[in-house]
Amino acid sequence: MNNNNELSRRRFLFSASALTASTFVRLTGTSVAAIAQAACSAKESSAAFRSLSAEEAADIEAVAARIIPTTETPGATEAGVVYFFDNALAADMNVRLDEVRAGLARLNAAIGKDLRFAELSPGAQDARLREIEDSEFFGLMREMTIFGFFAMSKYGGNRDHLGWQLVGFEGHNGAWEYPFGHYDEEVYGGAGDVE
Amino acid sequence: MSNNPPFDLREPVDFAIVGSGSAGGILAKELSTAGFSVVVFEQGPYRKAADFGHDELSTLFRYELNGDLSGQTFRHTADQSATARPQPPAEYAQTVGGSSTHFTGNFWRFREIDFKERSVLGPISGTNFADWPISYDELEPYYTRVDWEIGVSGAPGPNDAPRSRPFPMPPMPIKSSGVLLERGAKKLGLTAQPEPHAILTRPHNGRPACIRCGYCMWFGCEVGAKSSTLAAMIPLAEASGNCEIRAESAVFRIETDKQGRASEVLYYDAAGNERAQKARAVVVCANGAETPRLLLMSASDRHPDGLANSSGFVGRNLMFNAHCVVNAIFEQPLNDYKGVQVTRIIHDFYDNDESRGFYGGGGIDARPLWSATPILHSLMGMPPDVPSWGAAWKDTIAHNFTRQMSFVGSTTSLAQDSNNITLDPVATDRWGRPGLRVTYLDHDDDLAMAEFLEDRALELADAAGALQYWPFENGPSKGGAHLLGTCRMGDDPNTSVIDRDHRSHDVPNLFICDGSSFVTSGRGQPTMTIMALAFRAADKIKAAAAAGTI
Repeated sequence: MNNNNELSRRRFLFSASALTASTFVRLTGTSVAAIAQAACSAKESSAAFRSLSAEEAADIEAVAARIIPTTETPGATEAGVVYFFDNALAADMNVRLDEVRAGLARLNAAIGKDLRFAELSPGAQDARLREIEDSEFFGLMREMTIFGFFAMSKYGGNRDHLGWQLVGFEGHNGAWEYPFGHYDEEVYGGAGDVE
Repeated sequence: MSNNPPFDLREPVDFAIVGSGSAGGILAKELSTAGFSVVVFEQGPYRKAADFGHDELSTLFRYELNGDLSGQTFRHTADQSATARPQPPAEYAQTVGGSSTHFTGNFWRFREIDFKERSVLGPISGTNFADWPISYDELEPYYTRVDWEIGVSGAPGPNDAPRSRPFPMPPMPIKSSGVLLERGAKKLGLTAQPEPHAILTRPHNGRPACIRCGYCMWFGCEVGAKSSTLAAMIPLAEASGNCEIRAESAVFRIETDKQGRASEVLYYDAAGNERAQKARAVVVCANGAETPRLLLMSASDRHPDGLANSSGFVGRNLMFNAHCVVNAIFEQPLNDYKGVQVTRIIHDFYDNDESRGFYGGGGIDARPLWSATPILHSLMGMPPDVPSWGAAWKDTIAHNFTRQMSFVGSTTSLAQDSNNITLDPVATDRWGRPGLRVTYLDHDDDLAMAEFLEDRALELADAAGALQYWPFENGPSKGGAHLLGTCRMGDDPNTSVIDRDHRSHDVPNLFICDGSSFVTSGRGQPTMTIMALAFRAADKIKAAAAAGTI
């Protein structure tokens, strides 16, 4: 048993080495660029949003893209998170549409007259969002981005299950068979059963 | 068999049962198959297995199975004003089968000590710590009936209470989280034993085995392998031809006649219209929050402080079981989102230990918890040293989701006057009923026990080889899903609401059976005991009916 000092020291230590690029989920057969292109053309072909104006949608898409950015793996843009926002704000989250609109207006008011948030550089967008990251509005944007990235595709986001693929979640496909993971396989092998 | 003709509202049925959950579903089956006419009232809709799915957003974040929990308010102490919270403080499902449809299925029996701990340890000042009026031996045959009739999988642990029959089927195969708990336990000299589940590992009583889909905690089971009363009892009740499940019917009052006997159940139907069902006897199984609320709402000239409340104990002694959580990340994927939540449990800290310096006991299990589904993981499962958005946060989720698990501690709660269910003076629910006000602050000993288990969980995470581990927002409870103690059983009508046979001390044809009947909280998994009490209560009620004493 470790002594308490050792425990408290290690309690919050983060192992940076655990986070190496080699552990990221990579899409097979489809490049991020191709997915992004498909997402963009889908947006153009469904120009009529249900609850959002084109400008509002562009700003929301830009905010979501800073929360879950496109890196070497797909992000909120490719997963179509903005369509989740649009659908939800037209349906059961309609009561929060005014709040979203007011938040976007405040977000833009602090930027110059000629620019909207969506038109800023990613770095400038991050800086602007850091100014409001403790606000209720940002909390709502963050939560809805997570919903849009990981909720079932029927809600408009998580296109092609990109959110699930990113984290290695095989979703609701399973009636799973053992072994499930490394440690049960290590101990019990393919049988997995201790009976 | 859900097309039984409805009973006439004006003709009294033998039993009106309020609530279709863990207790109500069993009482409905037991009384209807014994030949009594029964109407079961359920606030929520009548969902069947095929209506349950894997939609994380609607189930976990839009409270689909919880239904309408409007009007609930919370405060820690009576000098505070209670306010509504984003998450309901009294968490339960409004659907036929009640919370047994969405529970996780961890199914520990109580041990002998749980029923007589006050006698063994002595009083604890400032609390209503007391013995149960019944013993483990009296309840054991009914635990065994739950094992076999409801369907429980498992294997006995080294210090379990004695059982008269073996488990009807083996435990769930071990998952990676269970292997890691075992690994930590071995290093620390502790014992990790298989977790018993109200989930089938073999076909049983015409129901299929678990398909290991992973959607147990807060989800309904779409194959009926989870042993809810919806799957195990209600079909038998309906097949008797004597039982009507009256869903979307929200009871707001139990009416009494001139003799002070329960005579009628008043409720709102699906359209919001007031209805009344006459009954010869009423059994309230609405859960440890809704049962006291209904009794308090049923106050009358004859029962000015609420029905069956001459003791003043209706709503008092609310116990949630305290909890603690330690999250841990391992080097290799666990994929713990597959299969049931828990496969191993440590019960080495079950008993009270004076050397700790405070009262209590509990268990530590291993489960995915926040890593069961990705939205939950992103919102609740992040390490404390990661920014809350952006590329680094995204990479953390992508890396950790399959590699993370939690060590979860569950503890005793002490019964206190100050923890209770009352009617909110202002808030109302969507039917216009007075809101359910929860006042709750864990006893210092409960918090100390949770902290003790948290320290043990941190040691276990370390011993299991976690790369990183951290405690999750532990502290005083702001609500609970274990709703216990609010109409406790006892021999003394001055300090309890029901007698040892679940009959209310004040109203001879009013019975109460659910988590509210508990005298003590147990160590953290109450539903097995709620179900055993329900089978026993049914036997007692049938015997009283046969003797003509209802």
